[in-house]
Amino acid sequence: MADVVTEMSPLDGRAGSGADTAVIVEHPHLSKINLRGDSGDQAFMDAVADAVGAAPPVEANTVMTAGKHSILWLSPDEWLVVTPEGKQGDMEVALAGTLEGQHVSIVDGTDARTTIRLHGADSRNVLMKGCPLDLHPRIFGPGQCAQSILAKADVLIHQLDDTPTYDIYVLYSFSRYLWDWLADAAKGFS
Amino acid sequence: MAKYSVFSLVRNALSYHENWQRAWRSPDPKPEYDILVIGGGGHGLATAHYLAKEHGINNVAVIEKGWLGGGNTARNTTIVRSNYLWDESAAIYEHSLKLWEGLSQDLNFNVMFSQRGVMNLAHNLHDWRELNRRVHAIRLNGVDSEILSAAQVKAEAPILNVSPDSRYPIIGASMQRRGGTARHDAVAWGYARAADQRGVDIIQNCEVTGFVINNGRVEGVETTRGPIKAKRVGVAVAGHSSVLADMAGFRMPVESNPLQALVSDPIKPVLDCVVMSSAVHVYISQSDRGEFVIGAGSDLHVSYSQRGSFEIIEGIMGALCELVPMVSRMKMMRQWGGVVDVTPDRSPIVGKTPVEGLFINCGWGTGGFKGTPGSGHAFAATLAAGEPNDMAGPFSLDRFRTGFLIDEAGAAAVAH
Amino acid sequence: MFLIDCPYCGPRQQTEFHCHGEAHIARPKDPDAISDVEWADYLFNRSNTKGVFYERWVHNHGCRRWFNLARDTVSDRILAVYRMGEKPPRVKK
Repeated sequence: MADVVTEMSPLDGRAGSGADTAVIVEHPHLSKINLRGDSGDQAFMDAVADAVGAAPPVEANTVMTAGKHSILWLSPDEWLVVTPEGKQGDMEVALAGTLEGQHVSIVDGTDARTTIRLHGADSRNVLMKGCPLDLHPRIFGPGQCAQSILAKADVLIHQLDDTPTYDIYVLYSFSRYLWDWLADAAKGFS
Repeated sequence: MAKYSVFSLVRNALSYHENWQRAWRSPDPKPEYDILVIGGGGHGLATAHYLAKEHGINNVAVIEKGWLGGGNTARNTTIVRSNYLWDESAAIYEHSLKLWEGLSQDLNFNVMFSQRGVMNLAHNLHDWRELNRRVHAIRLNGVDSEILSAAQVKAEAPILNVSPDSRYPIIGASMQRRGGTARHDAVAWGYARAADQRGVDIIQNCEVTGFVINNGRVEGVETTRGPIKAKRVGVAVAGHSSVLADMAGFRMPVESNPLQALVSDPIKPVLDCVVMSSAVHVYISQSDRGEFVIGAGSDLHVSYSQRGSFEIIEGIMGALCELVPMVSRMKMMRQWGGVVDVTPDRSPIVGKTPVEGLFINCGWGTGGFKGTPGSGHAFAATLAAGEPNDMAGPFSLDRFRTGFLIDEAGAAAVAH
Repeated sequence: MFLIDCPYCGPRQQTEFHCHGEAHIARPKDPDAISDVEWADYLFNRSNTKGVFYERWVHNHGCRRWFNLARDTVSDRILAVYRMGEKPPRVKK
């Protein structure tokens, strides 16, 4: 039985694109675990902190970062645990271990979505062409995330820094479309 | 009342068109009528016209809270067709279309009915199969309908993008050549003038504030211009049906949603048929003034605001730029909304209510304009006899209890 | 276009949401025991209120949570947002 699984992304082969001040690069295969549980239950929070290094954020639209791991708020009882490529198995096992016996859901969604990183001074302007979120720095800054729509595609947007840099999580099936849209939207900025 | 003709035109030209008679009177309400029609839109006015003309009942009043044709009659995209799936719908919409064909003569008023053809596009295999099924069903009902290939679609409407690489590739279309458009204001004015001529009182700025109901029987209405008695009352108020039903003490299976339309700047004639796409919720025709008249989709929330969401406009214009690329270089001049009364099976309700003597005609949803003559004709017969006629029968309010629904969501959902 | 204050995510544009009609319609506890008229009333009849209306929305492109709105259907002004299971607040136009 073959034991080599080659991970593939629908964006494989696409080099960085966009404009000088709005560069798009794919960060494929980041490990993504969808986690659900009761944030009001201290045992749940502690168990997640044991596995990931930080408890899930309770405040809406925020991200908790611990080392190489991030926990993105999705809804009051749902988070996305993002860890480096290839670590989804380890993280799933770790969470399943510390959360054993609790009423939770741990689902590996690594291959459901890919991540497009949008970086540069005009990144916000590019996003604003197709996203209804209020991305003004006063409202949306580093360490925040939000699920919304970008050019009709469902996305999860995470702002990483003030440059600004955004990680845009998008379903595989929408990723080529969104990539092309972003490349097109970045035209004119430089 | 003078008949409109080329002679009256010449005669009035001699006096610089300053002595045209008013098209209808503006009487004060009488204390009592045989039949009172609430709602001075196309449907209410048509009802009054056919009551007087077909049933000889002249002691009729139409009361309207605003002005004639100030609601959905003036807010729709004027598309007329009868390509509905089920027998009951085919009967009433085809009857309506036949009345449209002789309407200008009947009313002695040019309603500018133009049988330029109505095309429904198929963009994928499912659309195509569904469309073929419908065309067969429609033809079995004796209604004209034909299938067009993509090449034929292109020949009919060269401005369409039929490239297989387009976002919404066009596989083919169905075409009802007897369908078309009419002038919406003229329909209201023509019916009003013809009804008035036969003695019907048309009373504007008269809002119903309540019903007089005794022992389950309606005896009249309270209005902002005083009480009016009537032996029978017909309600034809579209989006406000639930409001009047509430006044009369019963509930309706109707929701009032915003439906939007818009027009472009005028250009030379480039489109001589109506093009509809249910898949992308857009329909377009070119008016005699040269404007593209574009219908959008409806919002899903209840609203009486006569305003819809911008996202609906944004969505359909995006789709339209793909379907008709030249639109991307045009300006949209005006955009508005109407309040459409939508039923669970997307078919109208014409007939009795739980209150004796009180009848209702509503639920025409996103497609009431085309139904105007047929609806008025059937409702007039129902009001005259006190019982629904054969055409109105299946569209009873009671069908929601019996379960005999007439599901026209596929023919009616949005594309009108 | 509404700006809807999602009780979980905060104010977001209407595009992210989906309206699911009138709120607080209770399914009859024993459908077999009621008449066709009562069943039809539950299934099809709606208040369709002109004025203050209570309705369900879901933040389907956001947190995917359901909640209720009180809205004036004449002005389209949103008067209150409240969570599922909460009693409808008394609001004025």
